[in-house]
Amino acid sequence: MLVNLEKILLGLGALAVIALGILITTNVVMRAVFSGAVPDSVTMVRELMVAAIVLPLAAATAARAHVSVAFISDKFNPRLRSWLIVMGSVVGMLALAPLIYAGGRDFLSVFEKGSFYYGDLNLPKWPGRFLFVLGLSATFARLLELTIRDTRTILAGGEVDDAQHHAGDLLGESGAR
Amino acid sequence: MDPATIGLIAFAAVLLLLALRVPIAFTLASVATIATFFIYAFRSGSFAPERAFKATTSMVRSNSFDLIHSYDLSMIPLFVALGHIAYRADITTKIYYAAKVWLTRLPGGVAMASVMGCGGFSAITGSSIACASTMGKICTPEMLRMGYDPRLATASVAAGGTLGSLIPPSVLFIIYGIFTETSISSLFLAGVLPGLLTLAGFILVIAVWVWHTPSIAPATDQRFSTSERFHAALDSWPAVLLFVLIIGGIYGGIFTATEAAAVCVVSATLIGFAQRKLTLSGLWEAVKETCVQTTAIFLIAASAKIFVAFVALTGVAPMVVGVVTDAQLSVVVLMICIALIYLLLGMFLDPIGIMVLTLPLMIPLVESYDLNLIWFGVVVIKLLEIGLITPPVGLNVFVIANVVGKEAPIDKIFAGITRFLSVDIIVLILIMSFPMISLLIPLGAR
Repeated sequence: MLVNLEKILLGLGALAVIALGILITTNVVMRAVFSGAVPDSVTMVRELMVAAIVLPLAAATAARAHVSVAFISDKFNPRLRSWLIVMGSVVGMLALAPLIYAGGRDFLSVFEKGSFYYGDLNLPKWPGRFLFVLGLSATFARLLELTIRDTRTILAGGEVDDAQHHAGDLLGESGAR
Repeated sequence: MDPATIGLIAFAAVLLLLALRVPIAFTLASVATIATFFIYAFRSGSFAPERAFKATTSMVRSNSFDLIHSYDLSMIPLFVALGHIAYRADITTKIYYAAKVWLTRLPGGVAMASVMGCGGFSAITGSSIACASTMGKICTPEMLRMGYDPRLATASVAAGGTLGSLIPPSVLFIIYGIFTETSISSLFLAGVLPGLLTLAGFILVIAVWVWHTPSIAPATDQRFSTSERFHAALDSWPAVLLFVLIIGGIYGGIFTATEAAAVCVVSATLIGFAQRKLTLSGLWEAVKETCVQTTAIFLIAASAKIFVAFVALTGVAPMVVGVVTDAQLSVVVLMICIALIYLLLGMFLDPIGIMVLTLPLMIPLVESYDLNLIWFGVVVIKLLEIGLITPPVGLNVFVIANVVGKEAPIDKIFAGITRFLSVDIIVLILIMSFPMISLLIPLGAR
């Protein structure tokens, strides 16, 4: 179920990136040709950015795509290294929990008040806030699953490897350690 | 407990967690959140956790959300997508083939073409490692097949890959621009000449190395007719067009950097479809890869934003500035110290990690000396670029080692890298000594 959710969120994030490109280009063309602009394009781009960045976070976490410094811990024995990887997931949950809590409060606040951005379309503020909490919550769930799975693996005498599952050929600064 | 003490403990905790393999983003966000909580809790003298909880959660949310909820930063996913799409549309590889066709008869010509290919790739994507990874797959096996010395075949691409950080568009410049609140367009323009200077330096290294030891690059009997050469050059027009759109658009004041990114993504996609090199499934895969890569970059940046806000609360930055000011260091000594710190960190940490860890302290320091932040940005990126190929953790070297496997072990690649490193150091000294190399183009822009 978590995998399916991550696939959907990644797909939505990808659609948001495509929408970003089309929206900004359309705005440039409209400015050049018609001396006009897409209404509230800046607001729409900012809301799309939340979708493009936060929604794929759980999928990136599942792929263990987060950058860490492996130089020192590579010299430890595999069992200790495995526990350090688990610790990384626990610290990740610790980092995300306040963000989810505060993001949730902010979402409820703007939703209940019906807050909107001033502009031609008066777009509501809640979608970006909702996507922020949704993406972070899915990431938290994935970190929890990784913690449980990795702990079980270690306790069963196995080792945990945090090499990226699908380190694409073009993954950049974030894709290699 | 006073904020400065909490700040120093937090810095120590960050270093410890990083050493213990905790991802950079999680380290920065968790330490900053907990430390901020303690600062607020002890603010009134006694421990008041209720008030601190609300203030802390509000601070971490606003800093992370506001960073992501940004119009200007949409250029990061777009430039990353541009690199992926251009690769799948064969746009990037054609630059290398064009350079190869023109240079193949020169001694070491394919290595020179590889470096030029890296330069071309860098001009339409923003990541050094992406550049090294992609060009390494194309160029290095070909050079090895032609009998090139593995040191030259690998080191030229590992070094050439670093151009991705300096030649615009560059993800590192964008992140630097966010944290220093300097114009990203100006940073892009400032990177052009230092990037080209580095490119020329790398080609010079290859020429001198091959001239001194001709056996490392056996001559090839492959010949191309004049017509083939011109066709190869003409085939690389999409890459030239994209670069002209980015640099010309920004320089001429037609686009912002964000708009240039979007226009280039759409243009590369249309060119790819028109030339039947890009399929819908290829585009979809490229965009999904973009998402995974970008989200990891942004998580670090958002965590760093929280950390920067925390550092501001501690008062550690003014303290460091005060210590340095009291020491009455000259600008030259200061810059040498900064360079040494970055070179040292570059041996162990990845570039984004180094930047987000150091900039909160470096920028107030540099501003106190009234130094130009655009020029300083170029110096920092050049230093980070050098870190990508310095042992023991030269990321580009590991990328190339993964690509070529057993044919060139790490130590052999590092052995070849030393020559390129010497040029990098010379270029660094030039950039530091003559700020005009960086500032000429931004000052000339409209």
